[in-house]
Amino acid sequence: MSTAIGGTTREHAVCIDSVDMAFNVGNDDEVQALSSIDLQIEQGEFVSLIGPSGCGKSTMLRLIGDLLTPTSGSVSVFGKPAHDARVDQDYGMVFQHPGLFDWRRVRANIELPLELHDWSKADRTDRSAEMLQLVKLDGFGEYYPRQLSGGMKQRVSIARALSFSPRLLLMDEPFGALDEMTREHMQGELLRIWKETGTTVVFVTHSIPESAFLSNRVVVLSARPGEVNSVIDVNLGERTPDTREDPKFFQTTTEIREALRAVEGAV
Amino acid sequence: MLRMALSVLAALIVIFSLWESYKWMGQQTGDAWPGTSVELPVSTDDIIMPHAVDIVGELFADIRDGRATLPLIVFLAKKAWFTFQEAAIGFFLGSAIGLGLAILMLRWRFAERGLLPWINVSQTIPLIALAPIVVTWGRHQNLPDIASIALISTFLTFFPVAVSALRGLQSPTPEHVELMRSYAAPWWTTLVKLRLPSARPYLFPAFKIAATLSVVGAIVGEISIGTKTGLGRATLEFAQRYAVWPERLYASVIGSAFLGLTVFGLVTLVERRVLRRAEG
Repeated sequence: MSTAIGGTTREHAVCIDSVDMAFNVGNDDEVQALSSIDLQIEQGEFVSLIGPSGCGKSTMLRLIGDLLTPTSGSVSVFGKPAHDARVDQDYGMVFQHPGLFDWRRVRANIELPLELHDWSKADRTDRSAEMLQLVKLDGFGEYYPRQLSGGMKQRVSIARALSFSPRLLLMDEPFGALDEMTREHMQGELLRIWKETGTTVVFVTHSIPESAFLSNRVVVLSARPGEVNSVIDVNLGERTPDTREDPKFFQTTTEIREALRAVEGAV
Repeated sequence: MLRMALSVLAALIVIFSLWESYKWMGQQTGDAWPGTSVELPVSTDDIIMPHAVDIVGELFADIRDGRATLPLIVFLAKKAWFTFQEAAIGFFLGSAIGLGLAILMLRWRFAERGLLPWINVSQTIPLIALAPIVVTWGRHQNLPDIASIALISTFLTFFPVAVSALRGLQSPTPEHVELMRSYAAPWWTTLVKLRLPSARPYLFPAFKIAATLSVVGAIVGEISIGTKTGLGRATLEFAQRYAVWPERLYASVIGSAFLGLTVFGLVTLVERRVLRRAEG
């Protein structure tokens, strides 16, 4: 689970060890969502989970976040049980729908987790200002969520998830509801933020180009029950807008697409 | 507030015009639809339908209240103030109980299954049956009648608040709830930071219904208890002399309607303030 080199310990950010996940166990509608999942994610990595709909990729993300408990097996985050990591606020979560509280201003939304963990008012204000800068929304702090576009709301949601500087960011199809232009722009922004903060990211998506553009590794899941079918290493170097037109990018998406096709053919 | 007052005035003028037109038509045709011998549903004589002007005029006519003599409108306002206090206690107590029950039902599923049917059934108990029980019990406890009346009013107001509050508290999306869980927020924190604010759009309509019902409860409570004062008492007295003095009963009805509008307006004002206020 962790490797000790010369006295320093560097744990995996996430370590999933032979995890099974079933819903409604013992009932007629029992569903085996995930089956014997093994996966390690290094600190600082950007890993995408991709697979056919209903393959349990969101379930996997929720197991890492201790929003669900596995039927068997274990999940550890930074070397401790997922539950402890959640209580210690080691991760921030971003959902497909920004899930902002519409009665709070943008600033107060970003400060929500800080407020819950008893940060002082002054520290909260400083941090939310920093976060607004990070997601390039300076000047929007006093707006209400309903006054923002979909992309802007999702930026607020990212700012909220990163406000308490978690070491891990869990993202569940965060750009799924955005139009293509906004989406590509947000992908670039996310990579910039990832580099600036050094956060580990686990990213659920059903978009092949998105997973290729963003990730160090793409984990391809098969459906019902979800199993890790293959893990594809992505070596595209520094991402720029031109990356999307690079033949190597095309190669990577083809590789992912074929892995997915093999998985879907098996269904 | 001015707009609200103006719209009430406009509505009054429309109702009075319709009232007077209908009465005028009935008087012309001998209570039949024009050009037919089909009778009007309501006859238009001065007992059933006194002139609107006479009803309004009656509001400014003198009435004896104990030893004093004062205009009816002042008399009604004094009685309404008494009724308002009963209704206000009933409203706040009922809203608190309703909200408390909703939180209880939210916290424990079995409480919802156990309580909700009874909360529904409670509203089928006739007030006329409930009132003497409450009053007799209240007098045994040496409670003033105003407390017993407020309790009857409470009985009506807790219901809409309990039902709507429960729906409102359950209204956050699963993602909102997961978000709070990801912050390891305890149940109470989730209630205060997420569920109660989310419930506001559900709560205020319920508060408005409860406010109106609190007045109904107070008036019915006064009548069934037989208090010496209050709008309900006045209405009862005027009702008994309706055949000889119909204007007075109508005037007291206007008084009750006004009290209902006032409490409704008060809740609306609070709603605007609360919904406008931002957090953080």
